[in-house]
Amino acid sequence: MTRPIVEFQNVSKTYHLGLLRRRTIHALRDVSFKVRGGCVFGLLGPNRAGKTTLVKALLSICRPTAGTILRLGRDAAYRGTLARIGYLHESPAFPRYLTARAFLDYYGALSLLTRREVAMRIPRLLDEVGLNDRAGEAIAAFSKGMLQRLALAQALVNDPELLVLDEPTEGMDLSARKLLHEIIHRRKAEGKTAILVSHSMADVGRLCDELAVLRGGQVVFHGMLAELTGQASQEGDVDSLQEALEPMYAGPVHAGPIYAGAAS
Amino acid sequence: MNPRTLLPVIFRLVKDTFRQSMASGICWLLMGLSTICILGCLSASVNGPQSLAAAGENADFLPRFDREAQDAHKLKQSGVTVADGTLSLAFGAVRVAVARDVRATVHFFQLILAAGVADTLGLLLTLIWTAGFLPGFLAPQAVAVLLAKPVPRWGLLAGKYIGVLAFVLAQAVYFVGGTWLALALRTGVWDAAYLLSIPLLLLQFAVFFGFSLLLAVCFRSTVVCVFGSIAFWGICWAINFGRHAVMAAEAMAPCGKFSTLLVRLADISYWILPKPVDLGCLAFDALGAQTHFRPILEHNGGLSLGLSVLTSLLFTVYVLIAAARQFAKMDY
Repeated sequence: MTRPIVEFQNVSKTYHLGLLRRRTIHALRDVSFKVRGGCVFGLLGPNRAGKTTLVKALLSICRPTAGTILRLGRDAAYRGTLARIGYLHESPAFPRYLTARAFLDYYGALSLLTRREVAMRIPRLLDEVGLNDRAGEAIAAFSKGMLQRLALAQALVNDPELLVLDEPTEGMDLSARKLLHEIIHRRKAEGKTAILVSHSMADVGRLCDELAVLRGGQVVFHGMLAELTGQASQEGDVDSLQEALEPMYAGPVHAGPIYAGAAS
Repeated sequence: MNPRTLLPVIFRLVKDTFRQSMASGICWLLMGLSTICILGCLSASVNGPQSLAAAGENADFLPRFDREAQDAHKLKQSGVTVADGTLSLAFGAVRVAVARDVRATVHFFQLILAAGVADTLGLLLTLIWTAGFLPGFLAPQAVAVLLAKPVPRWGLLAGKYIGVLAFVLAQAVYFVGGTWLALALRTGVWDAAYLLSIPLLLLQFAVFFGFSLLLAVCFRSTVVCVFGSIAFWGICWAINFGRHAVMAAEAMAPCGKFSTLLVRLADISYWILPKPVDLGCLAFDALGAQTHFRPILEHNGGLSLGLSVLTSLLFTVYVLIAAARQFAKMDY
């Protein structure tokens, strides 16, 4: 079996809200699963299931209250592994005064790439996401779709081993969506891993090999896509996927996983 | 993370701050105000005796209101030697009588520019205008992608802080350097003491922007940063000035007018907090404008400008460490 690229071990996250921090929200409860290398892993669940919190904990944007996260084989406390990860935020806010080229240069430097590496990658990346002719334009003039393309280029700037995409197709037109699919398929063929957080069954069905479904901060399913849809094919069709997910999205939250797949 | 890896990141964050300041118009606004002052200096000229002081003598040019100069004619008639100089502004449209020699008049003019325009008005305006830089940078949607990068959190904060300081340094160099050059060209007084205002301005700003940084990390609100840092500056200024006033009053007439508790409290607060008045005194000192007030305090061990700078810096370092620690443990 391929080595796990990400491993969550009994991860819990509790937020204390309010002025006196008395209101408690359990965003994650005892989450444990592994993501093997070279696959496209789907992270699904209804709103407020804890998907984004899990992604943030993985990327050290927030810290888990309990449990351990191993990222590329090392504890998540070690930030060095973040240099090999790309992240596309669900609704990113960019410095609007930067041009597309300056934007990638800036984020490339923050990914600890050398000036030369960044200079080599920027034209290729802009070409890949179809923004080469807008490289010198200020981001402020970009449409939402163009910003999504640029955000994708930002996530790819360090040619990451692991790509984390949080709602990547939100606001994307058909051609941008097709482009994203092509990029993910190509990277998968190169043996690279992607974690996809999405509400789009079409994207999940077309892209993912393996899934984890969260509800109420708990894993309610972890397994291969085919196990969920009950199909022999890896590529699940939207209807059967939706049908399979419906009871998980609506059903009661139990103390432990209720649909455990073989992949765990 | 080793410094060799971190330095290019800091450099990009500094560059980004300059871009941000240009895009927001703050850079051009401050440069515009500085240019007006520089043009004002270019329109100024000073007539009067070259020097009234003997060699090695410090000619104190305070008090600021030259009643003696206005009465120069009467004084001359009564046989008193009067330095009847003139400071003219706007190419002679405005003429002010001064009882100083040329050098002291230029120093007086520079003191107004350093302590009044730059150190008070400039500092407050810059604090207000740059207060939005950090909350914008730390907004959850903007910072989440940055936090997913391998740069340590304190490195991001340090880069932005240094970026704003570099921007203020550039503005201070333009303002002080420009006005100094303009006055020197017009008056022939090339004393470089005024240039000391550049590091002093930067130090003052670094102290109060450090506090603004802590507020930005804790509250992520521009309004809190603006009002918080201005209120903090006001408190520090009042404590600094109040403590010196109490000390001076006690030294001149030790009649126990102030309770021991009040004196002790003022003293403790003074030593803990930054000292904007003392830092301003350094500019007075450099321009030779301080021979009345300071000795009274110095003779009583109440003032040491070196210690004032050191303790203000220590406070800033403490605030920056607190901000970095808070930022390191925050969830976004």
